[in-house]
Amino acid sequence: MLVLLAQTAAGAEKDRESFAGGVHFIRSMEGLDGGFRPESQVRESTWVTSLAALLPEAVLGSGRFERAIAWLKGQTGRESGWSYRLQQRLHGNSAEYPKGWPWFPGAAAWVIPTSLGIMAFERALARASDEELSRRVAAGRDYLLARACADGGWNHGSNQALGKDGDSYPETTGIALLALGAASKSKDLTPNERARIERGKIAARRHLALCRAAEGIAWLRMGLAAHGEIAQSPFQPVCRTNMDEALIALAGAGVNPLTANPVARIKVIL
Amino acid sequence: MQITRRQALTGALAATGLSACSRKVSQSFPVSRVSVVKAPSYSMAIYDQIYRLLLDHGLNVRGKRIVLKPNLVEFDANTAINTHPMVVHATFEAFRKLGAADVRIAEGPGHRRGTLDLADAAGYFDTIRGFEDSFTDLNTDSIAKRDIASPVSKLKSLYLPHTVLDCDLLVSLPKMKTHHWAGATLSMKNLFGVVPGAVYGWPKNVLHWAGIAESIVDLHHLFPRQFAIVDGIIGMEGNGPIQGTPKAAGVLVAGSDVAAVDATCCRIMGIDPTRIAYLEMARGVENLAESSFQQVGETIASVRTPFELVDVWKEIRS
Repeated sequence: MLVLLAQTAAGAEKDRESFAGGVHFIRSMEGLDGGFRPESQVRESTWVTSLAALLPEAVLGSGRFERAIAWLKGQTGRESGWSYRLQQRLHGNSAEYPKGWPWFPGAAAWVIPTSLGIMAFERALARASDEELSRRVAAGRDYLLARACADGGWNHGSNQALGKDGDSYPETTGIALLALGAASKSKDLTPNERARIERGKIAARRHLALCRAAEGIAWLRMGLAAHGEIAQSPFQPVCRTNMDEALIALAGAGVNPLTANPVARIKVIL
Repeated sequence: MQITRRQALTGALAATGLSACSRKVSQSFPVSRVSVVKAPSYSMAIYDQIYRLLLDHGLNVRGKRIVLKPNLVEFDANTAINTHPMVVHATFEAFRKLGAADVRIAEGPGHRRGTLDLADAAGYFDTIRGFEDSFTDLNTDSIAKRDIASPVSKLKSLYLPHTVLDCDLLVSLPKMKTHHWAGATLSMKNLFGVVPGAVYGWPKNVLHWAGIAESIVDLHHLFPRQFAIVDGIIGMEGNGPIQGTPKAAGVLVAGSDVAAVDATCCRIMGIDPTRIAYLEMARGVENLAESSFQQVGETIASVRTPFELVDVWKEIRS
């Protein structure tokens, strides 16, 4: 999916055959429940559904997009479900658990699937307003802000273990910031929330100054760009996988197809 | 921030769905051979030591496909999180020397997504020539679904990578560490890394909800052909598996019965193996006695190096 997005950014017409093959494969991964599977052997729809929903709508098709969004509406981290909250209250824990998204149905919410879920729902909200989607986007942002690490950035969402602070990672810090890009433009943010996003940006700059991994560099650049900051890495990223290549291409794109929806152009290509 | 034992245990139970059940294991186990050798440092001597360990266990690997599964989690130059690359390389060379048809190194880290970047940072590219050609990222490998015949956890099945499903011998190469949710992380817990992140995510949270200890046992049963070599040359104590501090134990521990290897490691670390839930579930208390194993090489007393335990795990001290 990231390769398709990168091809979209770079000009898919350069390799129509590869692009069309990728589109065919992604479409074939739709499950009967409207979600998407990570590969043909997997029966369950998973976190990749939000990534599929971030493909240009012309690639996925309106029907598939709507079914993907409907599937995502039904997914929340297990810790925000009633049985877990009841169990916690019985143990004297009255903490709130904002609804994020899990990697796999039935597990807890984590930073990357929640970030992708927020962006997928923002894509849907750009088509039509929907109160439920808006509430989930707000809850997803609450989740991200609550799970920031003490150093300001994000790891996968486990910001403490046995009372000890966990360190943030470059890639998760970048993707969380990308997902909070639209929020930072909102007038509804509290000063505390705005301060947390600012701390996230400081953490991202710190990671970018040290990170040598292509995935980390790409997400950090995209995350900072979502907040209007064009940042460069001091290192030449070493791309070890197709995903690395795709992410670096996305980070270098003038318009990021993860947060835009280049419908007209894709229609011409397909 | 200080955390009470009750808070920690509540959190652990709630976060993991761990049921505090204790199973009676009626199965009897043959007396397993466990080797303990002193290895004071990561020197060239371990190449010979590991080769001799494999010879001593009489492994017939000629023409076989071997997969080495190290423990790669995160990299921090100030501590000892990952299996040392020299231990992995020495094992790789030893199996090749013994005539294995194919030796692959495979891992699917549960924290960092860039597996090759992590391996590079941890020194694998520098130590193992042509590392990338011999390595499979289990997080993104092709997979097949496997039903769990008699699950101990809440799992009924798992998608698992072909690389580990199709090999003739899976060799677990963990770091000797304490673990904040499991007590100790050794050969059996190391198999969490075979669960594909592309399906289940980072971390592999379905295993936590199914019960950490129970999932360790289920994964163990899914791979009946295993061997283990534990890197206890420098391990990790305290708040492992990531935030602990390096602890020199100066040992390599090996054997075909990985639960027996882990129980022996626990004793070396000053931990009572019968208080480690996954070992108790896998073998039963009666089959974890020292007399259940044929100890070769060093005695436990001669290498015993108590690892520091965080407060919530103080009761597992032997």
